[in-house]
Amino acid sequence: MLKIKDLKAGIEDNQILNEINLEVNAGEVHAIMGPNGSGKSTLAAVIAGKDEYEVVGGSIDFEGEDLLELSPEERAHKGVFLSFQYPVEIPGISVSNFIKTSITELRKATGMKPIPTKDLLKMMRDKMKLLNIKNGYLSRNMNEGFSGGEKKRNEIFQMAMLDPKLSILDETDSGLDIDALRIVANGVNKLKSKNNATIVITHYQRLLDYIIPDFVHVLYDGKIIKSGGKELAHELDERGYDWITKEANKK
Amino acid sequence: MSLIENLKSYSEGINVSSDKKKLLTSFFEKGFPTIQDEEWKYTSLKKLISEDYSIGKNGSILSDLDISNHSLGFENKIVFSDGKLISTPKIKGITFSDFSDFECSTADTFLQLNSALANNGFTIKVDSNTIVDEVIEILFFTNTENSFNQYRNQIIIGDNAEIKFVEKIQNLSNSTSFVNHFTQIDCGKNTNVEYNKIQNNTENSKLIDTMNIFQKEDSTCNINTLIFGGSFTRNNLNFEQNGSNCESNMNGVSILDKNQLADNHTFVDHKQPHCTSNEMYKGVYLGNSKGVFNGKIMVRQDAQKIDAFQSNNNLLLSENSTIDSKPQLEIYADDVKCSHGCTIGQLDEDALFYMRSRGIGITEAKAVLTYAFASEAIENISILEVKLLAQKLLAKKLNVDLDFSV
Ligand SMILES: Nc1ncnc2c1ncn2[C@@H]1O[C@H](COP(=O)(O)OP(=O)(O)OP(=O)(O)O)[C@@H](O)[C@H]1O
Ligand SMILES: [Mg+2]
Repeated sequence: MLKIKDLKAGIEDNQILNEINLEVNAGEVHAIMGPNGSGKSTLAAVIAGKDEYEVVGGSIDFEGEDLLELSPEERAHKGVFLSFQYPVEIPGISVSNFIKTSITELRKATGMKPIPTKDLLKMMRDKMKLLNIKNGYLSRNMNEGFSGGEKKRNEIFQMAMLDPKLSILDETDSGLDIDALRIVANGVNKLKSKNNATIVITHYQRLLDYIIPDFVHVLYDGKIIKSGGKELAHELDERGYDWITKEANKK
Repeated sequence: MSLIENLKSYSEGINVSSDKKKLLTSFFEKGFPTIQDEEWKYTSLKKLISEDYSIGKNGSILSDLDISNHSLGFENKIVFSDGKLISTPKIKGITFSDFSDFECSTADTFLQLNSALANNGFTIKVDSNTIVDEVIEILFFTNTENSFNQYRNQIIIGDNAEIKFVEKIQNLSNSTSFVNHFTQIDCGKNTNVEYNKIQNNTENSKLIDTMNIFQKEDSTCNINTLIFGGSFTRNNLNFEQNGSNCESNMNGVSILDKNQLADNHTFVDHKQPHCTSNEMYKGVYLGNSKGVFNGKIMVRQDAQKIDAFQSNNNLLLSENSTIDSKPQLEIYADDVKCSHGCTIGQLDEDALFYMRSRGIGITEAKAVLTYAFASEAIENISILEVKLLAQKLLAKKLNVDLDFSV
């Protein structure tokens, strides 16, 4: 589904990503871990198309298409979804209005008929139930005054509504309380199918107890320095990153 | 010919009282204000007054279709065609009548001109204790090409009455029309008034619109000004609070493009204690458009416990658009809460990316953010039809097919 080859990207003179290679197939869950500032969010943003970052080398292929050629909205239309580490507050626009606009535009772009508002509202209510979201939430302004956890839940709510092919969850677990973590993880698992894939960026093994990854990658200094199965996450939890960076430096 | 010459030859052909003659003589002596004049510093009248206008002519007869095309659909309508009052509604407790002159002493050139020569307009008297649920729609149509029209209207609202208006000034051709409009509202004790001005005229239309509002104690008056169309719009909104416990509210939204200019001058004169004023003006500027905001708040010595709030927020969405914003506070009382703020900015890049990552195209994302920016002022309008029209016109102006009303 997603093939990243030798990806190099940065901002002005500062190269943040150095030759990233990553392949994600449909049905898989990949976890990306790594110390603060290693480039995890940058990688997510480059996949989603944030033009602040300049891609200076390599390629991203998504279902046979050159993703780097597409605008952020076109990538979303193809089924790429990013759950933001820091969701943006948009005063003056309600959650329901935002999501309605998003779905309407997505459907328009993919040649589907618009959903009647009534059905859309029902769909929203169903997904709210799935994620244990309180009533009254739809009429609040998008992320405005939301607590950290509420913002994260709102990201997953949008993911549930948009039903993407590739979801990138950037530290969706940070800020969630223990119950919310379970609910959100449960929601993500319910949305999982053999046709979609998930990239989970996290610092904590705990999330991976709920969303079980097929692969775990360690990103360090803009590079994937180690990949493994789910046991790697346990090892990192116990031993930190030191041993891997040393191992990588030796090579 | 230029406007001043048009006015000279027009006034030579008519009879006016000696008082008006005096006003006219002084007007012709000093002429129109220039940018040397503090009140017109950022808004040049040069082009507007150099054009040739026809004065006092009546064009073709207005059709029902013209009216329904421009109406918001309210049943109770006051309709003018080239100055002539052609229909008034019938509502219990309200008297509608044609122009009747009233005094207003002023140093403002356009008001002096209006005092001297205006002979069209309406008079509305609302009886005390009348609560009107229906909205009264007031439509001023210009039918004659390149015409200069002046209206002089008065609304007198009896104690404890409640009433709402929607006003539109509409040119029916693409010609250069110019309207010098004046409305005075006298709000009785404990009244509640909302007046909505929808300024969405054709591309070459010019408007100078002055409203003087006199409030008695315990009255609330809300004026909402929505500017979408017209090439030149100057609004002067003057509140005078003459009793305690008055509330004066103003909301303004301007969405301009091309070479449009909109200038909002507001003035609140707090003369009595325990009153509030609240103004929120939002401007969005595209193309080569230009905005001016001048908000003056005066708190007189005896006006203690005043709460005055003013904000003017602007989005400059193109390189060539400009805004001049100026608060003017004069406070002579000591127990006063007065705050004002002005912002000038662009759309938030992070919010744009966030929306685009949700599949919303860049034009639509910009429109949604622009709507979100303006919505605070639109939300304060109590009439659903006006709110929906504002949303529709905004979408049209930003070239998107979006429905903001969920
Ligand atoms: N817009 C930017 N301007 C300047 N530097 C940036 C920008 N975005 C990222 N960086 C830098 O790139 C590096 C990687 O940042 P990134 O946010 O991708 O890290 P991360 O792995 O997501 O970290 P964290 O675990 O703290 O979220 C950091 O050193 C950061 O300061
Ligand atoms: Mg990060």
